[in-house]
Amino acid sequence: MTKRLAYLFFLCTLGIFSQEKQTISGYVKDNNSGEKLLGVNIIIDNSIGTTTNDYGFYSINLEKGVHQIEISYLGYTTIQKEIVINGNQKIDFDLSEELAELDEIVISSNKARKKIESTEMSVISLKGETIKKMPAILGEPDVLKSLQLLPGVSSVNEASSGFNVRGGSVDQNLILLDDATIYNASHLFGFFSVFNSDAIKNAKLYKGGIPATYGGRLSSVLDIKQKEGNTKKFGGNVGIGLISAKALIEGPILKRDNEEAPGSFMLAGRRSYIDLFSFLLDDFKDSSLFFYDFNLKANYDINKNNKLFLSGYFGRDKFELNGLLGTTWGNTSATLRWTSVLNEKLFLQSSAIFSNYEYNLDNLRTGSEFRWKSSITNYNIKPKLTWFINNNHTLKTGVDVTYYKFKPGKISSLRGSSINEEEFSNKFGLENGVYVDLKQKISNNLSLQYGLRWSNFNRLGAEEIRQYETGTPLTYNPEQDIYEENEIIGATNYRSGDNIKSFNGLEPRASVRYLLNESNSLKLSYNRMYQYLHLISNTTSPTPLDVWSPSGPYLKPQYSDQLALGYFKSFKDGKYDLNLETYYKKLGDVTDFIDGADLLFTEEIETQIAQGKGRAYGLEVQLTKNEGKFTGWLSYTLAKSETKVLGINNNEYYPSNSDQLHEINLVGFYKLNKRWDFGLNFVFGSGRPVTYPTGRYEQNGLVVADYNNRNGNRLPAYHRMDVSATLNPKKGKNGKWVFSLVNVYNRQNAASIYFNEVGEIGDQEIATGMTQATKLSFFGIVPSISYEFKF
Amino acid sequence: MKNIANIFVIIITTLFFTSCETDVTNDITLNDATPRLVINGGLERNTITPLTSQQIQLTTTASFLTTEDQPFISNASVTVTNGTNSWVFTHIGNGVYQNSEITPEIGNTYTITINWNGEIYEGFDTLIEVPQFDDFYFEFEEETLVTDAGYFVKFDTTDPINIPNFYHYRLFKNDEFVIVPDPGNSEVLIVSDKFFDGRQRLGVNPNDEIAFEIGDIAKAQQLSISESYFDFLTELFIQTGNLGNPIIGNPPPASIRGNLINLSNSNNRALGYFYTVDIEEDTITITEN
Repeated sequence: MTKRLAYLFFLCTLGIFSQEKQTISGYVKDNNSGEKLLGVNIIIDNSIGTTTNDYGFYSINLEKGVHQIEISYLGYTTIQKEIVINGNQKIDFDLSEELAELDEIVISSNKARKKIESTEMSVISLKGETIKKMPAILGEPDVLKSLQLLPGVSSVNEASSGFNVRGGSVDQNLILLDDATIYNASHLFGFFSVFNSDAIKNAKLYKGGIPATYGGRLSSVLDIKQKEGNTKKFGGNVGIGLISAKALIEGPILKRDNEEAPGSFMLAGRRSYIDLFSFLLDDFKDSSLFFYDFNLKANYDINKNNKLFLSGYFGRDKFELNGLLGTTWGNTSATLRWTSVLNEKLFLQSSAIFSNYEYNLDNLRTGSEFRWKSSITNYNIKPKLTWFINNNHTLKTGVDVTYYKFKPGKISSLRGSSINEEEFSNKFGLENGVYVDLKQKISNNLSLQYGLRWSNFNRLGAEEIRQYETGTPLTYNPEQDIYEENEIIGATNYRSGDNIKSFNGLEPRASVRYLLNESNSLKLSYNRMYQYLHLISNTTSPTPLDVWSPSGPYLKPQYSDQLALGYFKSFKDGKYDLNLETYYKKLGDVTDFIDGADLLFTEEIETQIAQGKGRAYGLEVQLTKNEGKFTGWLSYTLAKSETKVLGINNNEYYPSNSDQLHEINLVGFYKLNKRWDFGLNFVFGSGRPVTYPTGRYEQNGLVVADYNNRNGNRLPAYHRMDVSATLNPKKGKNGKWVFSLVNVYNRQNAASIYFNEVGEIGDQEIATGMTQATKLSFFGIVPSISYEFKF
Repeated sequence: MKNIANIFVIIITTLFFTSCETDVTNDITLNDATPRLVINGGLERNTITPLTSQQIQLTTTASFLTTEDQPFISNASVTVTNGTNSWVFTHIGNGVYQNSEITPEIGNTYTITINWNGEIYEGFDTLIEVPQFDDFYFEFEEETLVTDAGYFVKFDTTDPINIPNFYHYRLFKNDEFVIVPDPGNSEVLIVSDKFFDGRQRLGVNPNDEIAFEIGDIAKAQQLSISESYFDFLTELFIQTGNLGNPIIGNPPPASIRGNLINLSNSNNRALGYFYTVDIEEDTITITEN
C-alpha cells in the first residue's frame, strides 16, 4: 500500500510540468571562506523564489532571456544582477559578509520575506555566529542554551541534559550532528552541551511541521551542521575562557596557485579545566571532573558535480570521586557523505554514518568495587534524492536504514574485588524508513509541502526473550494501586538475525502556507511521528546513566500527532517580524517508570515501566527585530503539558516534568560602534512542577516522607538577566575579548526544593528526627571573561 | 563532619563560586493528607542475644515539617500468626505492642493482623536464615572524601551459594542504635548477593558513616531479609538520602508501598513494613591495637 502511495505521488507530479524551460543551478558560497551557504534566498524578477539546500545548492527554472536575480542572506550583502539565459546553465554565487564597520545597514526586504513565504513553520534556525554573541554561562557559548531562549524550547533546570520542546520529553528530540544521531548532548551533567560553538555552522530546530525526510523521534529534530573549513586560506582561532580552552584550525586541501582548492578541512578541540583548580579544595584531592571533545570536518570535490564530506565527533566526560565512584561517558560519531549533481534537476546525497554512546560507572567503595559498562551503537545509511521538477515543484525521496546494537550492561571486577562478572543480554534492532516529500506551489498565494514516511522497526536476535505467565511483565492491581510483577514461565531463544517483533508506522506530514498579502501569511501543519527507542530514566532530569531501550515484545513504540497553526507578519520593510503559533500535540504509549522503579542494574527493564498517554498545547508569540544597530527578539509562551499513566497519580493526568505555564524571553544585541558589541538576555518562567510531601512517619530510625500526587506543587518562578560585552579587534589586529555577567541581579533561582531529615547535631552526624526544607540554587551572579585570537 | 550531601554543592561551587543552599523550612506551606496507619517493627530472631519479647510500634502519619512527636496509636488490636499458632500483642505505651511468648523460627511465614478504627490490615513476611560472620574486627582509616578519619568496624562473611540472599546492616555505638540519613545508605546498609552469590566478602563495613573512637563499644548486626523487604528498604534509603540534586539522582517522590493491605478499604493504605529477620551479631571494644 505504501508503494502504491509513493507511486501516486510520482504520477501526480508528472502531469504538472510540461512547459519548456531552462534550468539554472549552482552553489552559493561565502566569498571569504568558501563555505557553502544554506538557506540563501534567490529571487528572480521579484517573483519566483527558491532557497539553497543544506549543501548550498540551488536549482531554478527560467525562460530564455534577461532576468533580474537577487541573492540575499541575513548578515551578507545582497547581490542584485542581471543574467542572460540561453540554455541550461551552472552559475555559482559568492556572497560577502556585511562589513562590521558599517554603521548603517542596508535593509533588503527579501531577507525577511523568507519567513513569510516559506511553507516551513515551527522552525528555528541559529547561526554559529549568533550563538557566540549571546551572553553565556562562564563565557562558554552553547547552542542548546541559546535554543532555550526561544519560544517552545526549555529545560527542566540548568543541570539537566538536553532540552524539552513543546512539552515533550528529552528523549523525544532527534539530535543530528552532520546526520549522525547524538544520544546524549550534555557535558558536565548538562551545564554545557557537547557542541563546540566554534565548530558549528548552523543549527536548525523543527518544533513542528517536521518534513517526511526526518523520523524516529516524537517532539523535534535538531539538525546541526559543522563548519566545512576555509577553502581559500589556512587559519584558525584559539579561545581561552574561565572554564575551557579551545582551538580550531581550518584550511584548503590540495590548493594550487590561482585555483580554487578542491577541498577544505576543519579540526577543532576543546577541554575544560575546572579540575585544575580543584587542588584548592582539600576534599577534591585525587578526584577529577572534566570534559573534552574533538570535531572534524573535511570535504573534497571529486569533480564539479561530485563532492565527498567526512565529519566526525569524539567527546568524553570524566568524573571521579576517589574512594566512592567514577563515571566516564561520551559520544563518538562519524559521517561519510557523497553528494552528486546528477543533472540540473537531480541532486543526490548519500550518507554512511556510525554513532555510539557509552558510559562506565565505577563503584569504588572498598570491598565492593566494580565497573558497570553500557553502550548503544548504530550504523546508518541514508540516500536521499532531490528532484527540482520545476519552479513550482520540488520532490525529495529517500531511504533511511539503521542497525542498532544495545549493550545494556556488563559488570566486571575492579581492583580484584570478589564480584561475579555478568553481562546483560545484548539487544539488536533494525529501523527502516522510506519517504516522499513534495513542495508544491499552487498559486502565488498558496504553497504546500506534504509527504509520507513509512517507518518500520524490527527487534532482532540473538536474544533470549522471557515469557510471562499472563503474557505481560506487569499487571496493575487497582485494589492496592500497584503494579505486580508476573511470574516468568520460560524463555524463547532467538538466534542471530531472527525477527523477534516488528512494528510498522505510516507517518503523514503536511504543511500549507497561504499568503494573505506581501507581508502576512497563515500556515497550518500536521505531523505524525513514531519513536522506536526509549530513554528510560527514573529521575526528573535525565542523567548520563539513563538507558536507551528498543521497542520489543514488552515495550510498544511511542507515537504523536501534532497540529499547528501560525500567523506570520513582517512590517517596516522587513525590519521586524511577528510570529504567532499555536499547537496541540497528542502522544501515545509514552513511557514512565512505575512508582519506586529501580532502573540501574536491572535487566528486566520491562518490569519497571508503564506506558500511557500525554497531551501538550500552547501558544507562542515572537517579535523579532532583524536589522539595524539593535537586533533581537521578545517572545512569550503559554503552554501546558500533561501525562496520564495507569497506576501513577491515582490514574489521573499530571503535569509533565517540563510543564511551564508562562515563559518570557528577551534577547537583544546592540552594536555601539566598530569595536563594541553588547548582548542581553532576560528569562522569566513560571514555576515548574514538583512533588512536596503530604506526611511523615518513622521507619528504621529515619524520618520518611509520604506523597500523594505526582508533580502536584510548583517551584517558585524562575527569572534571570544576563549581559555581555564584546570588544572586537582593531583593524589589523586579531584578539577579541568577551566579558559577561550572568544573573546580574544575583537571583537565587530554585533548581530544586527538597525535604529531608536534619542529619547532624553540631559536628555529630546522626538522625535527629527533625525535618527541614532546603532550596538549592546552582548559581548567583557569575562574571566571566574570555579571549579569542584569530590567525 | 563529612557528608556526601556536600559533594554536589562543592562541585557546583567549584564551577560557579556562587551556588548555595538556603533553609526554606519556614517559607513552605504543605498540603497534608488524611493521616494513615504506620507500622514500625517486626519479628527478630537473634540466637546470639535472644530477645525476651517482640515489639511492634503503631503510629499515624503527621505533617512533614511538624516539630511534634509522631502521634501514637494505642487502641488497636494486634495478632501475629504462623498458620498454626497465633500470638496477641498488647499495648504497653507509646504505641508499642508487645508479646513475650512468640519465638520466631527459620522458614516460617508470619502474618500480622491489625484491627484499628473499624478497618482490618494484614501483612506477612518470611524468616530466612542469616550466615555468620567469619571474622569481626576494626581498622583505623584516614579521612576520605566521604568519611571521617576514625576506627571502623569490619567483618568477613560468606554468602550461601545458589540461594538469593538479601542483607541489611545495623550498627550500635555504646549499645545505642546509630543511623544517618545519607544517600550512601541504599548501597551500604542493604545489599543483595546478585553479583557475589556464594562468595566470601572481606572487610565489609556495615555503615561507613559511623566512625568510632578508642574506648567505644561497637556492635554490628547482619540481618537476613526477604526480597520484598529489600525492595522496600531500597526505596526508603533512596528517598531518605535524597538531596534534591541531579547528579546523585532525584527520583520524583512517590509514596513507598509497604506490605500491609487494608482489607476493609483498599484506598486507605497503611505505611511501613512488617518484617521478619534473622540476626547475626558481634561486639567489639575499640582499643589501641
